[in-house]
Amino acid sequence: MIRLTDVKKSYPGTAATEYALRGVSLTIDEGELVAIVGTSGSGKTTLLNIIGGLDRAYEGKAEVMGRDLARLSDAELSDLRNREIGFVFQHFSLLDHLDAVENVRLPARFSRGKAPVDDPAARAEESLRSLGLGDKLRAKPTSLSGGQKQRVAIARALLFKPRLLLCDEPTGSLDTVTGEQIIETFQQLNAEGYTVVIITHEARVSDACRRIIRIEDGQIVDDGRGGNVDHPIIPGDTHDAGDDE
Amino acid sequence: MKLAGLWTMVRQNIGRSRKNFLMSGFGIVVGVSTFVFFVGLGEGIRDVVLGEIFLVDQVEVVPRTFDTGLGFGGSGRVIDDAAVEELRGLDGVQAVYPKMKFTFPASGVGGKSIFGRDLRAEIIADGIEPALVEGEIEDASKFRDFGGERACSDAAACGEGEACTDGLCVGQACTYDERTYLEACPGKSYCVEDTGRCEQPIPFLVSNHLLELYNGSLATALAGSSTKMPKLSAKMVEGFQINLTLGRSFLGRTRNARPITRRIELVGFSDKAITVGVTIPLAYVKRFNEKLGGVESASAYHSVVMRVDDQTRVPEVVAAIGEMGFDLAESTESAEQAARIILTVQSVFALIAFVIVGIAAVNISQMFYTMIYQRRREIGVLRAVGASRGDVRRLILSEAALLGAVGGLAGAVTGFGLAALADTIAARLPEFPFKPETFFAFPWWLWVAAVVIAMVFCLFGAFFPANAAARQEPAAALTQ
Repeated sequence: MIRLTDVKKSYPGTAATEYALRGVSLTIDEGELVAIVGTSGSGKTTLLNIIGGLDRAYEGKAEVMGRDLARLSDAELSDLRNREIGFVFQHFSLLDHLDAVENVRLPARFSRGKAPVDDPAARAEESLRSLGLGDKLRAKPTSLSGGQKQRVAIARALLFKPRLLLCDEPTGSLDTVTGEQIIETFQQLNAEGYTVVIITHEARVSDACRRIIRIEDGQIVDDGRGGNVDHPIIPGDTHDAGDDE
Repeated sequence: MKLAGLWTMVRQNIGRSRKNFLMSGFGIVVGVSTFVFFVGLGEGIRDVVLGEIFLVDQVEVVPRTFDTGLGFGGSGRVIDDAAVEELRGLDGVQAVYPKMKFTFPASGVGGKSIFGRDLRAEIIADGIEPALVEGEIEDASKFRDFGGERACSDAAACGEGEACTDGLCVGQACTYDERTYLEACPGKSYCVEDTGRCEQPIPFLVSNHLLELYNGSLATALAGSSTKMPKLSAKMVEGFQINLTLGRSFLGRTRNARPITRRIELVGFSDKAITVGVTIPLAYVKRFNEKLGGVESASAYHSVVMRVDDQTRVPEVVAAIGEMGFDLAESTESAEQAARIILTVQSVFALIAFVIVGIAAVNISQMFYTMIYQRRREIGVLRAVGASRGDVRRLILSEAALLGAVGGLAGAVTGFGLAALADTIAARLPEFPFKPETFFAFPWWLWVAAVVIAMVFCLFGAFFPANAAARQEPAAALTQ
């Protein structure tokens, strides 16, 4: 599903030797539930952005679903993100002027006539209902709780039933109980066959994953099974890890 | 992105940034309304000046005159039938209408039915082919030659006071008496002194402006005097008859022949008629010139009106006319001059409007830059869910195009409203010659131009911000 080979990344304005990623190589197979953990600034989000085709300025080779991302045109990469990859962000990234259904069907606006579902609006409603938001279909994000917003974001990510779900600190802005529910949702989705990659700094999230990749200073320092990683990464670190890059 | 989806997103985005769009749209409305107002004014004035005062859909050719600088001059090639044919053969010429003036003095008397007493005046007249005014006067059949040789099969084919004799219409014989000459013949026909035969009055046209000049100047000036002159309408004066004395006027008389009298009747108004004077069918003028001025004076035309296929071919035709040894009439040159002045004034106003719209475009550019900065993360989200660079660019440019279309239309309507207001104010001004009902003209292309210009400027303003937004890496945008 995902194969990274010696991926390096540096940001403009930093010294050439200051890499955010220093030759990361990894493979994630289809159907895996993977947590990528690390300290703030370790390169977790950078890694996710490269895997998701959101960042193309890197060295090395990144293949997703057998496609070399560097060789894809902007339109091809956009199509890949549109139909094959679902994103869930820490701050939900919903559009406040759209209601829940409109937010969820947003990817359908950019499917260029190749939407894998016949009726995106109906599919959006169905997704929201299955996530327990049947009574919030027409609610604007400003009137939803954090957990509800995140479920809307998940419903959006699942609109076209993508093969890969990339989540960046999905529970970072949620309370413990809601966070647990979201983790359960991901486990359930993984059980349904979705490949799920979660960036997190929370032990409760990584504990729920079957594989944990630990990254520090832009390098993978550990790649093991759930429960094999010391938690938390930074004792007491509950800050907004979404800003770590 | 599908058009319906794009339209929905554009509407949603404009709806939530209503205030920003309104502020930016205001500049567009001001600029476009200025443009529409001044171009409309220019077009209106052009219609009046070039459509009524000077005619530009035609070229008037006159014989070339030259000044030796020694106190005497001369004239070039005469415009005779051969020259007319030559002019007719020029490329781009649609029709040619020769004009001839009286080559003898003439005076007129009449007007008792309107003014309460007969007025006497020097008469300036020219003759034109009836085809030149076809479609311009209500009943074209009234403006034709009733006096020439006309074939007939019976009396019904001839006019009032005529009989069909030997296959030709001939005026009935009558006895002229100064007191009874009007009643001596049937219908409108009257008894002509020098021929002793009945004849129908000669139809004549006057310029639309003559009536305006009369109402606007003479009638107004004499309104408070003892010789009060009533204001006249076209309806009031239609059918008005004057007695003409041909060959004699207050200024002199012809030496070649005895003066004769004829009666003329007003049958309509035309811009093609001589500005101050009367215009009658060309055939009459030819006959009178031959009778009173000699054969030569009946063979040389004073000018020729030429209609050109297409206005753009006028310069080409004018050049050919020059090569043939003829000049343009002063009215044509004045028209060209007037057209140039109007175009210059119009261009200056259009330029001012463009500057305003241009400033609005800069403002729009700023607004889009600000908006894109504020929506940076949102653009990142759109990219994450599958929007391509092209989609982002299209979305922003579509918002700009919609702003331009709505702003342009609002500007055009505002300009139109301002014009209507200006016309209302102008209507309260005192009458003056050539005063039009409206000073504005709004051809269809002006509406289209208003919207297109507004859209182009808005698109121009949004072009760079849209590109900047499209170039943004989604990862960078999402970190905002």
